[in-house]
Amino acid sequence: MQWTEKYRPKFYGEVRGQNLAVEKIREFAKHKGGLKKAILLYGPPGTGKTTLAYVAANEINAEIFELNASDLRNKDKLNEILKPAIEQKSLTKSNKIILIDEVDGISAVDRGGLNQLISLIDSTKYPIIITANDIWNKKFSSLRKKCELIQLKEIDYKTIKDTLILILRKEKNFVENDILTNISVKAKGDLRAAINDLQIIAGMEGSEGILDERNKETDIFSALRLIFKGKPTNDTLKIFDSVNMNTDEIILWIEENIPNEYEGEALAKAYDLLSKVDIFKGRIYKQQYWRFLLYERIFLSYGISSSKKEVKNLGFTSYKKPDRILKIWLNNQRTAKKKTIAKKYAQYVHVGEKRALKEFPLIKSIIISNPLIQKELKLTEEEINYLSN
Amino acid sequence: MVSEIWTEKYRPSTFKDLVGQNDIIKRIESLTNSLNIPHLLFAGPAGTGKSTLALIIVKELFQENWKENYLELNASDERGINVVREKVKNFARTKSIGNVSFKIIFLDEADALTPEAQQALRRTMENYSSTCRFILSCNYSSKIIDPIQSRCALFRFRLLEKKDIEKVISKIVTRENLTITPEAIEMIYEGSEGDCRRCINLLQSTSSVSPSITTELVSTILSDAKPKDIKIVLDYAVSGDFQKAREKLLDVMLKESISGQDVVKAIQKEIWNLPVEPEIKVKLTEKTGEAEFRIVEGSDPFIQLQALLASFVLAGRGK
Repeated sequence: MQWTEKYRPKFYGEVRGQNLAVEKIREFAKHKGGLKKAILLYGPPGTGKTTLAYVAANEINAEIFELNASDLRNKDKLNEILKPAIEQKSLTKSNKIILIDEVDGISAVDRGGLNQLISLIDSTKYPIIITANDIWNKKFSSLRKKCELIQLKEIDYKTIKDTLILILRKEKNFVENDILTNISVKAKGDLRAAINDLQIIAGMEGSEGILDERNKETDIFSALRLIFKGKPTNDTLKIFDSVNMNTDEIILWIEENIPNEYEGEALAKAYDLLSKVDIFKGRIYKQQYWRFLLYERIFLSYGISSSKKEVKNLGFTSYKKPDRILKIWLNNQRTAKKKTIAKKYAQYVHVGEKRALKEFPLIKSIIISNPLIQKELKLTEEEINYLSN
Repeated sequence: MVSEIWTEKYRPSTFKDLVGQNDIIKRIESLTNSLNIPHLLFAGPAGTGKSTLALIIVKELFQENWKENYLELNASDERGINVVREKVKNFARTKSIGNVSFKIIFLDEADALTPEAQQALRRTMENYSSTCRFILSCNYSSKIIDPIQSRCALFRFRLLEKKDIEKVISKIVTRENLTITPEAIEMIYEGSEGDCRRCINLLQSTSSVSPSITTELVSTILSDAKPKDIKIVLDYAVSGDFQKAREKLLDVMLKESISGQDVVKAIQKEIWNLPVEPEIKVKLTEKTGEAEFRIVEGSDPFIQLQALLASFVLAGRGK
């Protein structure tokens, strides 16, 4: 069973990291027919919107009638399904809550659906809970007016981590602290994603986890070997199918290892092709035309392989793991101070930050030479230290 | 308080203090005096007075209330159009203070916005046109979409001429009690490439070493400021050591935070100092131009630069 289901809260007290929203929805569910007949829960994925709706229903012993984006087609469909639901009493329970999940999934195709929903809010006998990720689109303006708005914020990583620990304790399982922190930070406020990750990691025996990473590397190593040392054949075209990496990652591996295998003309030819791969990548970003990916893959495999005239180096080559991204990251850590200084300077003298960074050597010598300027720019002690080192 | 940063201290604060761009100033001044300006688009290279002119307009229009009625944004720093829109909205929501019926938003480096973001900006400009005037600045007006251009009065700023830069330099030299040789003035002008801000920064930077400014002094400062390591990168490449060249390149780009385009610019200048045949220099220039084009078209400048370095390896072998 999925842990996200198994540990989905049933009572208000079990909901994590959304105290404000819980208070608001508790109020809403308590007096039925308050000021507004519907509430709109909005926030990023995995922050508890649907969960809160179910908790609210459970607390007042209500039946939930749920519609989600896949049901919400058009005006007629809504009338057919939702209208009876807002008028008829629940057969099994004393109360009823209507849940309309993921309302922002209503697309342009569902024209009329949204307006119909709004008019149904007016005539409903039961409270309606609507959930959405983003409600600031113009098409939701009249819906926003009809509903009480409750925002669910991204859950902070500490709360996520605590929740994960709680689950592990109940599962009698153990995962290292560092990994838990890692999962919690990586989730970026999405508790559901964090719990899913946790279940996957906890399910692996320690060695299997490493094995998986190793498999991934053997795949790319043998693919690189075939490309760089082998003759291009039609099979070469499919070489990355068995490599469990996305194209951008593969580009980095190729980029890192071309100079390990090729030199001179072949080197130039291979990099020229890689440059073309990058151009297609740029075009995909700009035009969102994903078919270009096909050309990327062909150049990356067959193209790079065909760059050499003959294979000279049949022996074993130990391929290097690309480390450019890591270097960029490390550098960003190191130059964080530089950026904050450039920012202060840029705002003060009416230029862009990028421009200030570009001219940093000049700017730096000016700032160092005059303590009054340091004061003027309100530089901190650390920033001044950074400059003088 | 008078700033100690000379680009601020000596920033002109009235129309008559401005140097260069005489035609533009005349027209802008009469627009400002009529207390009614259209949206403005300032196009031209860096350091030619676009932001300064915007600030003067605002100060002349609003007098002592200018800070309340003026918002400055830099499009290349703000992460997306949404940030811009949000800030614009908040600013435009309240009425202007004083007897001018609108506020002014200065959007610097507007050409850094994608065409889609510019479309959104256009809507924003329309929605708030009753309460706000926009002044957009950009390096190239061709990167501004037509609908925005057609809503703005376009002014093209030119690089400052030598005599203008000289005027700026001698004014500062007198006020700061410095001495400078004519050759050093010449060198600062060359090094600034008509960019007045850079020229003043160069002057302040040199003067912090010594108040008597000579060519020797300027040239040390200039070479410090130049990505001189690019020469080392090319030397590695031409001598056939691609790996070293590649490593050094990444190192330089990260440490000095210079963009791919700046590297191309530096490479293009270095070609003429390389020990290769004239026809190969021409070929390399062509490759460099192609690389610059591809950087604009592609997504990862470092890959494009490596491809270029590989051509330099071939050049080193006379190919």
